[in-house]
Amino acid sequence: MANQSRRDFLKTSALLGAGITGLTSKPVKAAPKNILDENRMGVLVDTTVCIGCRKCEWACKTAHNLPTQPLESYDDRSVFINMRRPDDKSLTVVNEYPAQESNSFPVNVKVQCMHCDKPACVSACIVGAFSKEENGSVIWDGDKCIGCRYCMVACPFQVPAFEFEKALQPEIRKCDFCFERTKIGKLPACVEICPMEVLTYGRREDLVELAHHKISLYPEKYYNHVFGEYEVGGTSWLYLASRDFSELQFPKLGNSPAPGVSEAIQHGIFAYFIPPIALYALLGGVMWLNKNRKSGEEEQL
Amino acid sequence: MKIKILYWFLIPLSIFGQTKIDKNHSSQNIKCSTCHSCEIPTKENPCIKPCPRESMIRIDQKAEDAPRILTIDRIKETDIYAPVKFSHLAHAEMSDLAGGCRTCHHYNPPGNVIGCSECHATQRQRTDINKPDLKGAYHQQCMNCHRAWSGNTDCISCHEIKGKEKVIASVTSDGKKRIHPEIKTPDKIKFDTNIKHGKQVTFYHAEHNELFGLECSDCHSNESCVKCHAVEKVKSPKKLSSKEKHKKCSSCHNTESNCSSCHSNFEKGGFNHAVVTGFDLTKYHGKLNCSRCHTTKSQFKGLKNECKNCHGEWTWENFNHKITGLVLDDTHGEFECENCHKEATYTKPECSDCHEDKSYPKDLPGKKVK
Ligand code: SF4
Ligand code: SF4
Ligand code: SF4
Repeated sequence: MANQSRRDFLKTSALLGAGITGLTSKPVKAAPKNILDENRMGVLVDTTVCIGCRKCEWACKTAHNLPTQPLESYDDRSVFINMRRPDDKSLTVVNEYPAQESNSFPVNVKVQCMHCDKPACVSACIVGAFSKEENGSVIWDGDKCIGCRYCMVACPFQVPAFEFEKALQPEIRKCDFCFERTKIGKLPACVEICPMEVLTYGRREDLVELAHHKISLYPEKYYNHVFGEYEVGGTSWLYLASRDFSELQFPKLGNSPAPGVSEAIQHGIFAYFIPPIALYALLGGVMWLNKNRKSGEEEQL
Repeated sequence: MKIKILYWFLIPLSIFGQTKIDKNHSSQNIKCSTCHSCEIPTKENPCIKPCPRESMIRIDQKAEDAPRILTIDRIKETDIYAPVKFSHLAHAEMSDLAGGCRTCHHYNPPGNVIGCSECHATQRQRTDINKPDLKGAYHQQCMNCHRAWSGNTDCISCHEIKGKEKVIASVTSDGKKRIHPEIKTPDKIKFDTNIKHGKQVTFYHAEHNELFGLECSDCHSNESCVKCHAVEKVKSPKKLSSKEKHKKCSSCHNTESNCSSCHSNFEKGGFNHAVVTGFDLTKYHGKLNCSRCHTTKSQFKGLKNECKNCHGEWTWENFNHKITGLVLDDTHGEFECENCHKEATYTKPECSDCHEDKSYPKDLPGKKVK
């Protein structure tokens, strides 16, 4: 609160100052979309307190009108036998990694889009269907998407999923940081329901600080690393764990933004003076062929 | 200017029956800096040190002084589950064997033990994200132990579904008797050790409870919940040092020397006062608590088997010989005790001082009675 109000105060004084000097009468606009807002939000996932109740999975589905089993069925822990990935039917999943010692707990890890600060999906998307929003969310716009699925290839966390089963207007599906909810001041559905408050919602900057504070308070409890602080240029979702993240199937990633691959596609093409329109035509053609083949297959079934 | 930290005398205060922080706590024998980060805390700026506050001043109450059942209904967000009826007393009783109130109440300023909601916000959406909200705090506290022994995280093990609540017997019955189900304790436990000349230690658990009158918490403190509640007993992976292994015994017994008083190569018998001390209790003292004679706590030596230690000097006038089962005849009845009984325990009498031809028990100085 203190931070917030101080910032508000600074903004207001800046405005007043501006008004007095008559330089501008427009209100100060917050950062444009492609510049990271310093107040962007994030979530700190403290996997050391997660009990794997999967309430977050249920809440996510319910909030996104995805079909779901009744809440009680989520107590069934047998799903943990297999490692799962988020897909078009579950935007988030919780996995379990067995306890290492007889007197410790298994580690449960919730997986969803990391909402990268330098999102590969945004860079890869040739029509700009993906965008990094001011509040930290990386969201997808169905009206712009042409279904090329470059985002799926580009994402270092393999998050975006494609509704392969849908023949007509299949959509890209991924955690949208509950953009529709946060827009109206609500918490993301998973954050709201989590009984253990594994998921702390706050300014990313504050969360990074909190994460390091926790590690320094309980060094025996935490592995000394905040996953997402620097990985691929930083992510809005940050993780704490009791052991090395590579043991929990977190990908080993460098600190420079990953999108190199996909940017190379666009920039490489531009470097050879192929006008974007030709690229779109080519890709569109490929898409059209693919789509036709797919629906053809489905008709045969 | 550096202000001296004052040590005040402890003024006797009733610390129970108050909520929140004790108004007079500044007069207690506590350094201000234990809890406050500035030199002169004021009401407006108490500058209480930030969480975690585990190492701050903490008090413990007796389990019976704690609330019996708490209905946890401050979290209004969810309408799936009914408020948990938390058997606080049962947990408080168990905490006697763990770390006391502080097992859960990790911050207790001077005054009453304070509840979770004094610090943890009921709102999840909040600006201070440094400590979990109330819902998170409760669940982190409960689940940390509960899932340890059962591996169970089912919500319905604590919650009832809203609209389907049952009335639990323990919630409605009142009274202050213990509500933890009766604890089954072993009579004896055999420990196998790797001591060469004394592989076995036979520990008579029941004797320590019943005969020596020890409370559970006299030996079991700082236990983890899992110790009693684990479905599958978890073995500590750590190798304990000799000192740690003897810890429970060494608070009463000298475990540095005299190994053979516990270690042996066969099963040792239980405690026998006659064998250990030479003083048989079975005849007259069988029903007494140890503390009737051994009046100093944990001090069992020094009575030297002398009756007068407890009974004072006996004379022919103040001792009714009948209770020994023998009524003295008129002649013997007026002798001083020492004339016949040479030992301080007044056991076998000596006849030969006066009678050359008589001996006990062949000849009696009176008549046997029942
Ligand atoms: S709701 Fe919270 S505790 Fe439950 S699985 Fe999800 S993150 Fe873990
Ligand atoms: S995790 Fe993948 S989908 Fe999510 S923002 Fe990063 S690159 Fe995009
Ligand atoms: S933030 Fe929203 S969309 Fe993302 S996992 Fe949580 S509930 Fe699902």
